[in-house]
Amino acid sequence: MLNYAASRIVQTVIVLLVISFIAFLLVANIGDPLAALLSADATVNERLELIAKLGLDQPLWTRFLHFIGNMLRGDFGFSYRTQDPVANLIAERLPATVELAFVSLLITIVVGVPAGIYCGVNPNSLFGRFIMLISTAGITLPNFVVGILLIAVFSVQLGLLPSFGRGTVVDLGFWKTGLLTVSGWRAILLPAATLSTFQVAFIIRMLRTQLMEVGQSEHIRFARARGLSEARIWYVYAIKNTLLPVITMLGLQLGNIIAFSVVTENVFAWPGLGSLFLQSIQGADIPVIAIYLIFVGLVFMVINLVVELLYPLIDARVLRRQS
Amino acid sequence: MINATAPLLDVRDLTVTINRDGGLVTALDKVSFFVNPGEVLGIVGESGAGKSITGAAIIDLLVPPLKRTGGTITLAGERLDQLSPKAMRGVRGGRIGFVFQDPMTSLNPVITIGQQLCDTIQTHLKLSGSQTKKRALGWLDRVGLPNPDVQFKRFPHQLSGGMRQRVVIALALCADPVLVIADEPTTALDVSVQAHILELLRDLHRESNVSMMLITHDLGVIAKMADRVAVLYAGRVAEISPVGELFNAPKHPYTRGLIRATPMPSATGEMRLDQIPGAMPGLGAVPPGCAFNPRCFRAEGDCRATIPPLHHEESSAFSCFHPLERVTA
Repeated sequence: MLNYAASRIVQTVIVLLVISFIAFLLVANIGDPLAALLSADATVNERLELIAKLGLDQPLWTRFLHFIGNMLRGDFGFSYRTQDPVANLIAERLPATVELAFVSLLITIVVGVPAGIYCGVNPNSLFGRFIMLISTAGITLPNFVVGILLIAVFSVQLGLLPSFGRGTVVDLGFWKTGLLTVSGWRAILLPAATLSTFQVAFIIRMLRTQLMEVGQSEHIRFARARGLSEARIWYVYAIKNTLLPVITMLGLQLGNIIAFSVVTENVFAWPGLGSLFLQSIQGADIPVIAIYLIFVGLVFMVINLVVELLYPLIDARVLRRQS
Repeated sequence: MINATAPLLDVRDLTVTINRDGGLVTALDKVSFFVNPGEVLGIVGESGAGKSITGAAIIDLLVPPLKRTGGTITLAGERLDQLSPKAMRGVRGGRIGFVFQDPMTSLNPVITIGQQLCDTIQTHLKLSGSQTKKRALGWLDRVGLPNPDVQFKRFPHQLSGGMRQRVVIALALCADPVLVIADEPTTALDVSVQAHILELLRDLHRESNVSMMLITHDLGVIAKMADRVAVLYAGRVAEISPVGELFNAPKHPYTRGLIRATPMPSATGEMRLDQIPGAMPGLGAVPPGCAFNPRCFRAEGDCRATIPPLHHEESSAFSCFHPLERVTA
């Protein structure tokens, strides 16, 4: 187990270094920091000074190590566009996106998992077929269409929920949360539901396929031959065999939402990372894009690490494949 | 039926059909046999003869589209074929234990051996948690696993094939069934391990006097284990005889063909192997009359016209119009 954990962590660090290097190459090769930082009437001396200060006269590897060192000290550079520290920009946007991601994950688990189990256990029931039909819509409709539809129904027609913003936010000092106020919860429902549509549909289909497959296996038949109750067979003996792919997929989806909920955030004017990313691309704000890239890598790697560390708790065979 | 003791399991005219392309195909055609208390009945036949289907049909565990469509199954006076699904669950594992063929696939890979045993015991016996665990450990010991405490916490993948099959046997027997159906219990194992598992089954049978239905295609296993043998061919019973009689004086030409096709040293030590010409008909391709008639050297006109009924003699029964005479070798 310790070996397993150690090897996973080492892998994570290596991948993060590779991502950082690619991001660094982006900063080093695209755009001209001198043009962005110097005024138009700067002298040659000022220019040389800045080059020395930024270390642009150093070889590539030295600059990369410098870049890594700065990051480890919490210095992520400055945005070309706003001149603000990149760290501040991201920290400001992060809570909105993380909260959105977790609420949509919650919806996915609460709605998708029971529905998926139902469809897997009763694949031919009328209700099961109905769920599958609806889930086809969830898979095929693009996010922005779902978002606009939800706004049209719940905001415009029924006037129940707000169509944009985060509602009232409480500042905890290190984190601005919308989850402590009623208006915050009302505001998060529509975007979170939009984001979870695809995931709910996906998880239903995945659980159904997995359960139907496990249901055919010899060990389930043997469990039946021993007279175990159907409830025990499905909810313990079968489900446990389907958990690995399900938590893998939930983890990836969580990362996906934190990193790339650009479209949904745009539809709902959600002040999160997605809109920051969009603005940075439009403004060719390379330092922000680079740090954002590394951050996204970090999010995926950490989630993946947590998921992989959960594997052996569910299926001990993972450890055997390791050794 | 001429029989002194009442049979424990009495199967009559068991019929199983499969719905294929809208038409019904018979997989098991009026199969009748019985198992006496404490007896080992061997069920033998080629692949596809309906051996496993017979076993699964008794505990209502047929895989669709296979379906039981006729016949009666009586266990100690109780009609199993009329039980509700809930009552049937009590029979499965509780009164009839089932040993599966392949220990590599029949144990749940993500649940510990101990948990699988305890779940099975608790389903059928009203025992406290600690009594259940004690019983589970006791069974691990009885089936010959070293260090039951250690095995209890292990997962199937941590055990060898032979050890897993021991666990499968413990799972089938842990709730004290009156009948064990063992479906090819040694087929998936190494030859060296097969002997150990057979020995274990025989020991457990002697200790507990549980009745057993031993399904196998291996006449060697039958010779070692069975008291009586039912030979199945193309979903029908060809012959049922006490094991000695079956090997020495088979009545049905198919039985003799099967014996002669099995590599076994004869009394003089020489090996003789004779093939039965042709192959067993597949599902839905059974010829009219006796299913064996196209391959049978004694077949005559009546064999092609009508299905021979099961004809009972003192200790045996066979379905053949022209049974073999006892040959003194």
